[in-house]
This record gives sequence, structure tokens and C-alpha cells, in this order.
Amino acid sequence: MGKKKSVVLIVLITIVLAGVLFLSITPTFYVSNVNRFNSLLSIVDLGSDLGDGYYTVYYPEGVISKSEYEMLEAEYEYALENGDSGSGSVDDPAEEYTPYKGIYLSNEFLENGTVLQSFQDDFDRAYEAIKSRFEARRLSDYSVRLQDDYTIRVEVPALDHDDAEADAVAQSMFQTFAYSGELLFTDATSSTASGTAEMDGTSENIRSASTSNAGDSGYAVVINFTSAGQEAFRELTSTLSSSDSTTLNVLLGDHTLLSATVSEEMDVYITGGYTQESAETIATLINCVIRDGGTFDLGFESPSYYEMSPTLGEHTALVVAICIGVLALAMLVFSLIKFKGMGLAHTYGFITYALAVIACISLIPAVQLTLGGVLAILLASAIMVSCNYYAFNNIRKEFATGKTLTSSIKSGYKNSLAFTIDVHAILVIAGLAFYLIATAAVRYMALVFTLAIAISAVCTLLVTRFYLYMFMAQPKNERRRIAFVGFKREETEDD
Amino acid sequence: MTKLSTKKCLLMCLVISLVLIVAGAFLFGFLGFNTDSTTQDYTSVEVADNGYMATDSAFRSSLEELCLGEIEGKYAVGNVSYSDFAGTDPHLEFILSEIVGDEEMGTFVEGLESTLSTETYGDTGRTYGEIADISVTYHNAVYAAHYEQVWRAAIAAAVVLVLLFAYVAIRFKVGMGVTSLIAAVHDVLLTLAVVALCRIPAGAPLVCVAVFAMLFSMFLNLKVFGKMRKDFRLDERKDLSAKDAIELSVRESRKGVFIASILAAAAIVVLAVVGIIAGFDLFSFMIAALVAVIACTYSSLVLSPTIYTLIKEKSDAARARKARYDYSSEKANKKNAKVEGNRPEESAGNA
Repeated sequence: MGKKKSVVLIVLITIVLAGVLFLSITPTFYVSNVNRFNSLLSIVDLGSDLGDGYYTVYYPEGVISKSEYEMLEAEYEYALENGDSGSGSVDDPAEEYTPYKGIYLSNEFLENGTVLQSFQDDFDRAYEAIKSRFEARRLSDYSVRLQDDYTIRVEVPALDHDDAEADAVAQSMFQTFAYSGELLFTDATSSTASGTAEMDGTSENIRSASTSNAGDSGYAVVINFTSAGQEAFRELTSTLSSSDSTTLNVLLGDHTLLSATVSEEMDVYITGGYTQESAETIATLINCVIRDGGTFDLGFESPSYYEMSPTLGEHTALVVAICIGVLALAMLVFSLIKFKGMGLAHTYGFITYALAVIACISLIPAVQLTLGGVLAILLASAIMVSCNYYAFNNIRKEFATGKTLTSSIKSGYKNSLAFTIDVHAILVIAGLAFYLIATAAVRYMALVFTLAIAISAVCTLLVTRFYLYMFMAQPKNERRRIAFVGFKREETEDD
Repeated sequence: MTKLSTKKCLLMCLVISLVLIVAGAFLFGFLGFNTDSTTQDYTSVEVADNGYMATDSAFRSSLEELCLGEIEGKYAVGNVSYSDFAGTDPHLEFILSEIVGDEEMGTFVEGLESTLSTETYGDTGRTYGEIADISVTYHNAVYAAHYEQVWRAAIAAAVVLVLLFAYVAIRFKVGMGVTSLIAAVHDVLLTLAVVALCRIPAGAPLVCVAVFAMLFSMFLNLKVFGKMRKDFRLDERKDLSAKDAIELSVRESRKGVFIASILAAAAIVVLAVVGIIAGFDLFSFMIAALVAVIACTYSSLVLSPTIYTLIKEKSDAARARKARYDYSSEKANKKNAKVEGNRPEESAGNA
């Protein structure tokens, strides 16, 4: 590489890296009264351990909270004061409910002070089903707790960095996963109403449900039927297309999950415009209800949901980011001192790596950063640094055998090539396997690791080496080049 | 490994690891892991009002302070949080560090409610109860374990181990593949055992630590085996015994292994220190990760080389034996001799 070309490249690359660094890590600031600048780091989706989350408490019908009970009590007292109690519109809550731990149970569920076995069984089935729905949703982290024996508390991470969008997603997920009843394909609007034609949404007819990108109309829920299901669905849609009723509803109990207009006999799938998150929620629900024990009869009140702060503390994500930044800086200073010119190439290589990782975790929607993801980034970074140091040490060893610097660099990299490729290849394979098979936190950790280790491979094998050649073109002669990388050779010094 | 014989060293390593793993497994079997705050069962006290605290933050702070004082007078409080549903249904939640019985909590909640109905808020002359119609209750919450996450991670780990073995066996040597496999399993089990034994608080993210241990173990072992693969090709190393050759390679790759381990450990220690200030769960997670780093470093420098020495010694011996009794060449010689013996007859017949 010529000296002039090298200067131009160094200036260009430095400007680009500085610019991207600014875009990546600068704290958020307002550029006008309404617009604000958000860095890439600030838009990373975080799990509920590092970022905000939501929780809800599911109350089965007939089970109420203490606040609700007190409200009913106040209504009753007001009615008494106004002489309305005789009309029967307001009942005495004390006669209807019995306190049980922190909640109130309807007397319908109690017999001689003990909870009826039928209610207990219904609740247990509903608890297991709701638990499996959240488990199947493949969230980065979540928790389901049995609260006061007869309510269910669920915590989930915010699924979007935009607050309004995250609110809507959480609300929709909490509501959808509490739907009870059986899955039914019909033109009726509720399971109790009779339709022109019906098809049961059981495992006999449905193999699975998934999501797919439907382009401009958002995301689609794709239902994959079995061969019997295909036939039944064809019959259903041909009946509907020839009748007055042309709307096909997919109901779960009394709730409409999907709706489509039938104009002709349809084949094996139906789609509709959804956001990715809502489509995944519905697909998860359908996959769960077609399993044995996936449905329940107990109804739940429409749940209120609440925002919650990160489980690891309010500003932990920021502190962790600052710590990693300081550690990276310390490592780069150490590299510059120990490897001099090669350390400079490593610095540029590592900054490129870090920026690429930040870009990936902030711009790829499927990535959600949890504590496991942080550990994955640390591991991939340690591997990248280690591989670069290994190559530099090999260059040093080659140089010590008496080779020229250019030849030493070539041989050094050649000697470390097999190891670097092997390590990155097996780790990428391992990361992919974990991503494809595992679920929850491990899945998200594996995704971050796979991305980081793939970037590390490119940066170690190509980018850092390119930067080294770029910087090596700067010193005037071999002697200065040797001094630039911090090597010493007796003959050269004598010269 | 230098002073002890290979077998003694391996025996010692295995005994140490087995004792730790078995003890950890027993403790896990009896007590489970020590749960962190995200996975433990808890008792909480909930203070809700008619919506006043959503509009008046000073009232909320004062109420929180009063309730916290009352609760801390009797129980340790782990976490305090405020939530509302779009401005309605606001409530303060005090999560206790211990699980308290229903009867005791019922009495305590009644006491707290009466305190709030008698204590006056600032100089308003009105009690908290009068201002905001406060309701106090308690909840007992039992955590539901994520079994699907655990078993799917276990299946993924099994697949990764098979892939690791296949890759290392093809690119390095079969013996190295076997050793990497053993080391990866050992490191994951040892990490989990030490976490169980030391009662390090752990929640669902412990699965991530186990995955980290496996990946880091793969990297460090490949580092050592990469050095061995290169060294074994050198002419000056070919004459060395298996034990000496491996010892030399391990000694030379020690620096690289330590650099990687120190880099990872330094980051983990710093984040653990941050965890002491920011949140104890971060600290315990990082300590578990540090255990994984130590286990992987130990296994890559001590256990794996020892196992591989035994494998290599055996394979070298088998190769030497095969070379000494070269049956194929012997058979070929016999055949040649036979052919030589038959040739005069054949030539005579031809004639």
C-alpha cells in the first residue's frame, strides 16, 4: 500500500469510526423542542432484568382484590344511606365474598369455609395453561407466580423501546393469554351463537401456527392445517363463500382471535395484518390451545397491567455499559503499550468490532439484551482480543527468527489462521445451535453471542490485519517500521 | 502434572471434581439452588389508595416513608416499588425478604391500616386514611420454575457437545475431541456444583452461566489443543514422549489461556463490584460467571492435558505396536515369497 493511499485511508476510517462512535454511544439530547437525538445504545431493547417490564395479576371471575371489595362495600353503604338496598341492585359484599389471604373469594366457590374441589381443579388447569402460554411465547425473561393461591401474577419484559408500543404489546399479550374456551373456526361472532358452518380448532385439524412477514400489511398469522384440517377448512370456506355470511372468525371461547373475509374457497392458510409481536402472541396461543391441556373453562377478569422497573435496579444497564466502556479503554491502552503499532491496529479493529456489535444489538429487532447477552458480549470480546494477541505474538516470534517485518507479519498471521478459523467456526456453530434449539434467556444470549463472534471473526481475520497493513505503510523505511511495531533487531540498529 | 505421574494427576483431578460435583448435586437435590430475588417466593405488603398518590408525589413519598418505617420495624424489606395503571389503581408494594405466615401478616396489615388511619399527613390535620381512603393488604407469591427453558437448553447443550466432538475430531484429533467433550461437560457441572455448594444466589439466568461455561471451555481447550496440533508437527517434538510433548505445549499455551481468562475475569469482577452497589442479583450472577472462568481455566490447563496424555500414550503405544507387528507387510512378504516360489514352475510350464 502506498503512503498517500494509506494516509487517505487512515483519515477516512478515523472520521467514519469517530462518526459512528458518536452515533452509537452519545447520550440522548434534544436537537429541537420536539426532536431528540437517540444514540444506537439508547434504542437497544432490554430484558426485564436490565430494562423496564410489565406485570399483571389475573383474577378469576368470582375472585376480587381487597380494593375492589372495599369499593363494593362503599357502594353498598351508599345504597343503604340512600335507601336503595331493598331494590336488590346492590348486594352486601360481606354476604357474597369471604376474605382469603390478600384476596376475596366468592361464596359460590366455598362450602363450609373450604374451597370447592371443582373450582380448585378449574383454577389449576387455568394456571398450568397460562403458564405454558407465557413459556411458549419465547420471551427473553419472564416470571409466573401463584399469588394468594387463586390469582396469577405474571411479569414480562417491555418488547419495544417505544413506550406506547411496549404498553400496547404488553396489554395485548396479557389479555390474549387469559382467553378461555375452545378454538373454533366459524362465521358466528361468539361460541354460543350458531353459525352457518363450523370447524373445530383441535390438533386433528391444525398442525401448528406461525408468523410470517406480509410486507406492507404487517405480519401475518399462518395456520398450518393437517390433511384432515385442509379438507375441513376447504369445506368450511366453500360453504361460507356460497352463503350470505362471508366473514370467517377464529374464536377462542367468546374472543375473536382472527377474522377474514371469505370470497372463494380458501386453501391451507389464512392471514391478516398484525404487528410482529401481536402475530407471535396469537400464533403462540393457537399452538398452545391445540395441545392437550392447553385450554381451560375458568374465565378471568380483563387484567390491569402495571409498569415495573428493572429487576437488577433502575440504572444498572447504564452502569454496566459505562463499566464495559472503561474496561475496553483500559484494554486498548494496554494493547498500545504492549504492542505499539500492532496495538494501534488492534485499537481500530476493536473499535470497529464494538461498533458493529452495538449496531447489531440495536438495529436487529429480534435481539433483546439481557444479563446473559452482556456475558456473551464479554466472552466474544475476550476471544477477539485473545486471537489478536495470539497473532501479534506469532508475528513477534517470526520476527525473532530473523525474517523481515513484512514476511513476519505474513507468517505470523498464517500461523494463527488455522486456530482463529477453528475457534470462530465452532463457536458460531455452537451459538447457532443454542439459538435454534434453546428458548428464553439462553436463546437471546445465543443470538447476541453468534452475532458478536461472527463479527469477531471478520474483525480478527480481515479488518485488524487490513488496519495493520494500512499503518505499516506510514513509516519511511524498514527500520522505522520495526520501531513502529516495537520490535528490536541488532543488525537494523547498527545500520 | 510435572511432578506427579499422569495417572496420579488424573486421579487427583477426577477425585476433586467428582467430590465437588457429587456434593453439589446432593445439596441441589435436597435444597435446590439458593434462589435470587427474581425467582424466590415472597410475601409482600400492598398499600393502595383511591388514586390520590398518583397525583400527589409528595403524599406518596410521605406515605412510602411511613409504611416503610412501620414494616421495617418488624420485617426486613427487600424492595419497594410504585405502580399504577395509566394513573388509576396506584399502589405501593413492599416486598419482604422473608416469607411470613398468613395469620401474622393479617394482624400486621390490620395494625398498619389503623396506623394510617390515625397518623396525620404533614400539617393538613387529616390522617392518611382520610385523605386517600387507603387500603392495605398482603400477598404470598410462589414462583413457578421454567422447566421448558432448562430442558431445551440441555438439549441444545447436548447437540453442541456432539458438534464439538465431531469438529475437533475432524480438524484436530479424535482424542482431542473426546477430551474437549469431557472438559466441557466437566466445566458446566463443576460450575453448577460450586454455585450450589457455595449457596450463591441464582435464578433463571444461571442457565446462561452454564452456557457461558460451555462456550468458554470450548475456547480455552481449543487454544491448548491448537498449540498441541501445531507443536506435534515440529520435527524436534516428534521424538518426545506423549507426556513431555503435551507438557511442553501446555506450558507454552499457558500465557494465552491466562490472557483470555484474565480478560474475561477482569470484566466479570468489575461488574460484580458494580453489582454490590447496583443490585445484589448482578453480583451473584457475576460471581457464578467467575466460578465458570476459574473452572474452565483449571480444566484447560490441568484436567484436559492429563486426560489427553493418557489417550495419546495409549494411541502412541498402539501405533508403535502396529508398526512393530506389521501384519499387512508380513502377509505381503509371505505372498511375495509364495509367488517367488511358484514362478520357476510357471516359467517351466510356459516353456
